[in-house]
Amino acid sequence: MAGNVNLTVKLGNLIFKNPVLTASGTFGYGIEFSKYIDLNRLGGFIVKGLSLYEKKGNKPPRIVETPCGMLNAIGLQNVGVERFIEEKLPKLQGLNTHIIANIYGTEVEEFVRLAEILDKEPLISALEVNVSCPNVSAGGALFGKDPDMVYVLTVSIKKVTKKPVIVKLTPNVEDIAFIAQAAQSAGAEAVSLINTITGMVIDVKSRKPFLANKTGGLSGPAIYPIGVRMVYEVYEKVKIPIIGVGGIYNANVALQYIMAGASLIEIGTANFVDPTISIQIIKGIEEFMNEEGVNSISELVGVAHS
Amino acid sequence: MRLKIVENKQVSKDAYILKVENPALYEILPGQFFMIKVNDFNYPLLRRPLSVAGFSDTIDFIFRVVGEGTRILSLKKEGEFIDILGPLGNGFTINSSKRLILVGGGIGVAPLLYLKDTIENRYKLKCESYFGFNTKDEVFVNAGNIATMDGSLGFKGTAVDMIQGDLDKDSLVYICGPLPMLKKLALLCFEYGCEMQVSLEARMACGIGVCLGCVVPTVSGDFKRVCVEGPVFDYKEIQWQEM
Repeated sequence: MAGNVNLTVKLGNLIFKNPVLTASGTFGYGIEFSKYIDLNRLGGFIVKGLSLYEKKGNKPPRIVETPCGMLNAIGLQNVGVERFIEEKLPKLQGLNTHIIANIYGTEVEEFVRLAEILDKEPLISALEVNVSCPNVSAGGALFGKDPDMVYVLTVSIKKVTKKPVIVKLTPNVEDIAFIAQAAQSAGAEAVSLINTITGMVIDVKSRKPFLANKTGGLSGPAIYPIGVRMVYEVYEKVKIPIIGVGGIYNANVALQYIMAGASLIEIGTANFVDPTISIQIIKGIEEFMNEEGVNSISELVGVAHS
Repeated sequence: MRLKIVENKQVSKDAYILKVENPALYEILPGQFFMIKVNDFNYPLLRRPLSVAGFSDTIDFIFRVVGEGTRILSLKKEGEFIDILGPLGNGFTINSSKRLILVGGGIGVAPLLYLKDTIENRYKLKCESYFGFNTKDEVFVNAGNIATMDGSLGFKGTAVDMIQGDLDKDSLVYICGPLPMLKKLALLCFEYGCEMQVSLEARMACGIGVCLGCVVPTVSGDFKRVCVEGPVFDYKEIQWQEM
């Protein structure tokens, strides 16, 4: 480790050794990456979104590449929370990093049940709540588009868990800072943003949307300026820590998110291209701090404001 | 891992053979693949999955130029370096008690060339090969029985047409090629009660089992990942009606 820079970040009652996390849905259950990197080097990792019951996911085609990005509509395929706890979690024992569970439901009660179950798991450090999903009880409107629904959902989850709750916000809204404020008022320890941006690719030969799901979530380097702008906006409106995510593929973009106001960052699609990218980004952040004479990463958070 | 390109040569109208240095670190099974980054930039973003067509002093890939990524790859010169990740996936299984039949269509012939080499030179077994192409100028192999759709070289018709009626329950077919061809031979294999290992192609983002983008429907009702549970599947495992 070069120099003596302080990369530690505090979130709720947790200390992260560095600000670099890996994003849900791009890192499997962590185990898949242990042959490429030392998981202990990460600030933490966020496992594939968990639902109460197993989800088989959408029909293929599920992905399509776009310029400097990709669209995906996986449909939250996952083994379900019980099998995760029985089969995956034991393999993650003994790691010296934070494991964050990402949870997903279509009713408030499902999220609450998931939070109750995961609250009992000592290996899980925190919960990240995916609100980019339809609320069946509210006619299928996305939780994340409605500040009242985000508030109710967050309060309900907070009641059943002592673990820090991170609300992962969708960018497909008019005013993301308004939604972030709702999460903050409800007691969320942090917000993470942005989730993918809804898009579509049409196959001109078949004259139909390329993805079986028709629409998909755009991710990758193409979207990072949108994420940085949204983190910048949210930083001006909330006090709780922000986790920046969206298109981070090198230390420069990670630092842009931090300067916009993110205390931590998540690396997503870049993990697909290079499974070692998270470690390279940690090194790159350290190098930058050494070169620029920055002692603590906290000095950089939000410096782009003012 | 970055490996030096030893050769990158056009071998047919639209196919190239790319040979990279063998760092002597890998044990590669026929049917396995690598994820290849065609340049160091964000466009194209994702790696390209390419199956291994030969493995000796060099690791060989044969690819068809179908889009921007493979076009960039076709322009790579000897001496340049290329970033590869692998070997990935499961590979073919060789059963010496069976009559081994290799059936390839178009660029799907590529992984069968390494399989053929392994069967003949490593296992010292015999196999029959049937390789089909659209036209003579797409043919990039000089081995096995060749079929072309227009009859410009070898048998007129598809590779499946060539072996149709010549399958029995002792046959073990290895197939890679376009989906209609796979479906047709799967039906025949059900009919004749023979075994078949099918190497599937799919769009992939990661190649290491985490993006869940490359799944195929299976008879169990679950989706399976081509990159980890495949790319080689027992044909009876695949839900062909949904493919």
